[in-house]
Amino acid sequence: MKKIINNPENYVKEMLEGIYIAHPDLVTYTADDVHCLIAAKKVEGKVGIATGGGSGHLPLFLGYVGEGMLDACSVGDVFQSPSAEQMHAVTKAIDSGAGVLYIYGNYNGDIFNFDMAAEMADFEDDIKVLSVVAGDDVASAGPSAPGEKSTRRGVAGIFFVYKCAGSAAANMMSLDEVKRVAEKASANVRTMGVALTPCIVPRVGKPGFSIADNEMEIGMGIHGETGIRHGKLESADQITDEMLEKIISDVPYTAGDEVDVLINGLGATTLDEQYIVTRRVSKNLADKGIKVHHFYVGEYATSLEMAGMSISMLKLDDELKALMEKPANTPFFKQI
Amino acid sequence: MDKSYIQKLLKCIKDIMAENRDYLIELDSVVGDGDLGLTMSDGFAAAYTAAETFEDSDIGKLLYTSGKAMSTAVPSTMGTLMASGLMNAGKVLKGKTQISDAEVAQIFSAYMDGVINRGKAKVGDKTFLDGINPAVEALNASVEQGEPLAAGAKKAAAAAETGYKNTNTLLAIHGRAATRGEASRTLLDPGAAVAMLIMKAFENSIE
Repeated sequence: MKKIINNPENYVKEMLEGIYIAHPDLVTYTADDVHCLIAAKKVEGKVGIATGGGSGHLPLFLGYVGEGMLDACSVGDVFQSPSAEQMHAVTKAIDSGAGVLYIYGNYNGDIFNFDMAAEMADFEDDIKVLSVVAGDDVASAGPSAPGEKSTRRGVAGIFFVYKCAGSAAANMMSLDEVKRVAEKASANVRTMGVALTPCIVPRVGKPGFSIADNEMEIGMGIHGETGIRHGKLESADQITDEMLEKIISDVPYTAGDEVDVLINGLGATTLDEQYIVTRRVSKNLADKGIKVHHFYVGEYATSLEMAGMSISMLKLDDELKALMEKPANTPFFKQI
Repeated sequence: MDKSYIQKLLKCIKDIMAENRDYLIELDSVVGDGDLGLTMSDGFAAAYTAAETFEDSDIGKLLYTSGKAMSTAVPSTMGTLMASGLMNAGKVLKGKTQISDAEVAQIFSAYMDGVINRGKAKVGDKTFLDGINPAVEALNASVEQGEPLAAGAKKAAAAAETGYKNTNTLLAIHGRAATRGEASRTLLDPGAAVAMLIMKAFENSIE
């Protein structure tokens, strides 16, 4: 393991301390617990939006708390869910009577704890809480049957769900309406990733799996979950085309559709490479008659020092497009 | 029985989890990530500490508070499920300062319901439920027949043990074990082992 850290036991705590030092105008914490991060400014009467999840994915999840997006994030240890009590603490802090919406990725540990936190908020404080569980990773499972719970993992595409729901809440829409928007965004976003190297959890000190020097794993999850295809490393254009094929066939798309695209680095892949992929995505989509409304390129959801990247696409309609265009100001995402 | 019995029950569970910490780690290392022994011993220790220092005589609140303490101490999947059981038992017994034998049995059925509500698993899915469900059925039957609680506890502990031992005939549906598919069948389920230990602790608490 080669990381610029102090005692691995303090990895998350010290990262959080740095966040509060760097962004005092945007975020603070509640309940005397640095893991209970909330927006510095509370907007009265607005639906509160809380997320949460394990550390190791910055800017996810806490990086989108601020103005125009999320109001709170409970922060767990690396790749571990925060506790229900921490989620409950931020829920109390951000509720201003309009209720709270939880938006988080589809992982059992997170689901159990968010459900428990919602019950605590209802049972102890009479706060109305609704939840939207995001599962955008097309590689993790097939589409779920109508009415059936999705088994797809949540990955970088949750950024779009945060943005649409955050804008809806900033427009002072009701809890039910913000939830409807979040569900709609979630239903229209798909992500596909590729990993080139493993990542190392600081307290473990060594990789949990390996990928040979000249190989890649298409569809690997952001905690190293097994992907759909392991093979020789290919060119940027070939990899991009394969990933887009999986995304596009899943929705499906037709010529004339409009999308927002997120090209996301997993931690150790350069921006140069991400822009090389961006170039190919643009050509591939143009050939299919799919119009790109906006490209977002950079690190939005990482997996420690994993090399690799993901492509997420949000299929737009007029409502989602308008919500995506609204301004936001958070530690890791600023849009004028 | 009053809150001192619940404190004793939680102490027996804490003790048995501490004694079987390495056993659970070993079982979980085969099918999971091996931390079950740690989460169960740490989690039930946190639950007992909260119960031991609890001032109010409300048994329901005591159970709810212990569950919350456990969920905070060990927010892992199994930690949260076990905490949910305690919290649901607390909700069901809220306001009671004295409980009958039938209500002691109710603690375990409410505990099981809490785990089901949180985890959405079914009996037969090779989980904790395959240990706790036969125990709850045996305990309820015994109490209904008017047997002393000690007899019911003994039967419940035996039923949980049988349930656990039968998990090596079931196919895993949930968690990491499920990724093994048919190869998971002959393995024993660590969650059901936790159920067996809880019911054994219950038997110890009555003796």
